[in-house]
Amino acid sequence: MAEDTENKYLTLVSNDGFEFVVLAEAALVSPTIKGMLRSPFVEAQTNRCTFPEISGVVLEKVVDYFHYWYRNRDKENVPDMEIPAEMCLELLMAANYFNLEPGPGQAW
Amino acid sequence: MASRPNKIRPIRRPVMNKDKAEFEPCWELLKGALTDIHNKNATDLSFENLYRASYKIVLFRKGHLLYEHVKSFEEAWFRNHVLPAVNSLVSGNLINVALQNSPGTSAHERRETGERFLRGIRNCWDDHNTSMNMVADILMYMERVYVTEAKLPSIFATTIGLFRDYLLRSYVGVSDHALDEPLVIFDLVNAVILDLINMERDGDIIDRNLVRQITAMLESLYETDEELENAKLYLTDFEPRFLEASRTFYQNECEKLLRDGNASTWLRHTQRRLREEQERCDTTLSILTTEKIANVVEQELIVAHLNDFLAMEGSGVRSMIDNDRHEDLSILYQLIARVDKTKAALQASLQTRVMELGLEIENTIKNTDFSAPAVAAGADAEVAAEGGDKAKAQLLNPAAQATAAAIKWVEDVLQLQDKFDKLSSICFSNDLGLQAAVTKSFTEFINMFNRSSEFVSLFIDDSLKRGIRGRSEEDIEAVLQKAIMLLRYLTDRDLFERYYQKHLGRRLLHNKSEMHVEKELVRRMRAELGNHFTLKFEGMFKDIELSKDLAENYRDHVRNLGEGTRIELGIQVLTTNNWPPEILGRQAVTKDGESPPECNWPADIRRLQDSFYNYYQRDRSGRVLTWLATTGTADVKCTFPKIPGKESGPLSKERRYEINVSTYGMVVLELFNDLAEGESLTAEEIQAKTNIPMPDLLRTLASLSLPVKSRVLLKEPQSKNVKPTDRFAFNASFVSKTIKIKAPVVNSTSRVEDPQERKETEKKNEETRAYVIDAALVRIMKQRKELSHVQLTNEVITQLAGRFQPEIPLIKKRIEDLITREYLERVEGDTAAYRYLA
Repeated sequence: MAEDTENKYLTLVSNDGFEFVVLAEAALVSPTIKGMLRSPFVEAQTNRCTFPEISGVVLEKVVDYFHYWYRNRDKENVPDMEIPAEMCLELLMAANYFNLEPGPGQAW
Repeated sequence: MASRPNKIRPIRRPVMNKDKAEFEPCWELLKGALTDIHNKNATDLSFENLYRASYKIVLFRKGHLLYEHVKSFEEAWFRNHVLPAVNSLVSGNLINVALQNSPGTSAHERRETGERFLRGIRNCWDDHNTSMNMVADILMYMERVYVTEAKLPSIFATTIGLFRDYLLRSYVGVSDHALDEPLVIFDLVNAVILDLINMERDGDIIDRNLVRQITAMLESLYETDEELENAKLYLTDFEPRFLEASRTFYQNECEKLLRDGNASTWLRHTQRRLREEQERCDTTLSILTTEKIANVVEQELIVAHLNDFLAMEGSGVRSMIDNDRHEDLSILYQLIARVDKTKAALQASLQTRVMELGLEIENTIKNTDFSAPAVAAGADAEVAAEGGDKAKAQLLNPAAQATAAAIKWVEDVLQLQDKFDKLSSICFSNDLGLQAAVTKSFTEFINMFNRSSEFVSLFIDDSLKRGIRGRSEEDIEAVLQKAIMLLRYLTDRDLFERYYQKHLGRRLLHNKSEMHVEKELVRRMRAELGNHFTLKFEGMFKDIELSKDLAENYRDHVRNLGEGTRIELGIQVLTTNNWPPEILGRQAVTKDGESPPECNWPADIRRLQDSFYNYYQRDRSGRVLTWLATTGTADVKCTFPKIPGKESGPLSKERRYEINVSTYGMVVLELFNDLAEGESLTAEEIQAKTNIPMPDLLRTLASLSLPVKSRVLLKEPQSKNVKPTDRFAFNASFVSKTIKIKAPVVNSTSRVEDPQERKETEKKNEETRAYVIDAALVRIMKQRKELSHVQLTNEVITQLAGRFQPEIPLIKKRIEDLITREYLERVEGDTAAYRYLA
């Protein structure tokens, strides 16, 4: 059971030391994270993924997106997520890195 | 999440001149990781690190380099690490197994060698597969961005395909074997699996799981890196070999089974093999093969020599049917149903057997008809019966035996039918095609036997007469069902109708059966064969019912009149058309051309007749009543005087008995009323006085003078049959234990016709048929006006199918006849067509 609870959440760490504990199920929307946890690498053993090239601010937004996606995964007519204009470029790159695909009704 | 074509592009970085410097460190990192992955040391690696390395390479637009590097790394890895390990597994023994030239090695040894080899292959595969999955994960970004864009096979397909190109298809590097054809590892894998499967077929236990893992491997490898669904190595390479090897195996096996010559073994064996192969596909190979291998087994074990097995002496279909080997037949049915939807082979076998058994019944009856059973029964009678009964038994024997034979024939047919019904429901899951075929054969053999109509009617007669009373509803129901079933088989239904009418008439007049059962049977006949078939029978029932009322009303009438009479009349008025001519005494009409002479009725009787006739005429003027003495019976009260000199015992008293005799018997006995004591009459004298036809008279006298129980007349000389010159006297010292006595009426039991009577019946039937055909011809032509010969003939046959099968020559003859009688004419210029003349 302990393992179950442990695996239910995972910790994402940004390059400036911010740690985000997210619902594993939500984070698995990213194929990158999925691949990370599937193979017997360090991340899968520790449940902790470190991203040395992503800042805490961006990672926070990414985590927001994971949960946004998770909350709305079965719904239709979902309102757009708020994206601050100044973060657009960085977020685009992050999305690309995480292999995220456009959600239903959303365009990149 | 539908993917859209507008992919995000890697952002072009302004500074890109340090290409080499950017790529090399990343690749070095990845290369080290690949080695670690292969060596199962991946647990210390950071996925993110590696992913980012490949991500960067792709961002630097060096995807192609990465792709190629990974590919060549894997190739090198295969060459340097995997192949040597695999080659070390290849031993001389193994190659011998593959080439099937290892006479010395035991199965056990071969299995050990083979399984060790497969295990090695499997381990390689497991490692490779796991590694390639991990590599593909790390290279996910390259896969998504570069590979898709460059339209290359995915990195996973490429690297997994290496297993096929560098391992399975590498030549076996054993130099001390002079091989005719170059042998690759794949050949060894196939050969070992096939060898293992054959071992399992021979009863060995093999590592199914291992084989399953290998076939699963072959299922996830493809001929090319495009990974086309139908180009799995399993399907393109292994399966054909497996099917081919299986075909050879089962060909040999089938020959062995043929040599053993036991169809029962064959059935079970084949069934087991089919099950085994199915199971093998489920557990050991792949469900993709299930149908194909079943097909091979079906072809080789069932279809190839089906008829040989069916015809096997002592165990083939014939023996299965004869010995009711239901299990064998069930299996046979299931097997044949697999390969042939129509089950033609089984159908033919069944039909042949039905015909054979049917004709056998006929032969048995023929061979034992009069001689054997007559002797046996005669012997029985002699043992069981005393004195006079013996005479009676022998008198009745030939006819009774023939009847018994007829009933036996029907019972045998029913038994046969029952047997095949059982087969149908137990073994053939009530297969409609087979049922129809069997029914057809039954119809065929039953109608080949030209007395079937008579026999069926006799059987019904016998069943209905013999104690329907007191039998349970189910028993009666069974009798009725059997009767209808037999009826269905008959094609000469008009002939049956004739016999049935005769037999039914006797039953009704002698009150031998239950009215409601008779009616139920006729009701079913009507449902089965239509109204016209049962019209006469229903008329007969009606006559009987009306007669009952009539007799009662007449009795009331007489009572009211106060005309005291000693005689009570029970009368049955029969409508001429409904009743068989034999009963109405019209047989004589056709023979002599004139009405049979009416007998001289005693005065009392004549008075009664007149009285009844007057009564009858009151409501129905103009009708003629003919008195039929041949069919009636009379209860005669006889008084036997006290015998002088006898002081004790029954003879010392006057005795009154009520004797049930035929109508003629009554007429004869009346004569003796007027005779003085001690006087006697010859049969000829009696004939002169009564005008009873001699054959009937002799039969009547026989029933009154021969059996001990009803010997009210004494015959001189005492012999076992009656001659016209014999003298008869009143038996004054007649004694009986019962008050009511029944003089056996020879005429009342229905029996088989002798050849003479048969000819007569058939002749009459033919005549009737001629009329029926005439009627049909005219009916059709009246409607159609003009018709060709063939069409007309066909129409007649269809119209009459329910009653009988008209013979073509007869139809032709009737057409000719109608032409001469100017009902039809030939169409000018077309001799094969007719026109109706109004």
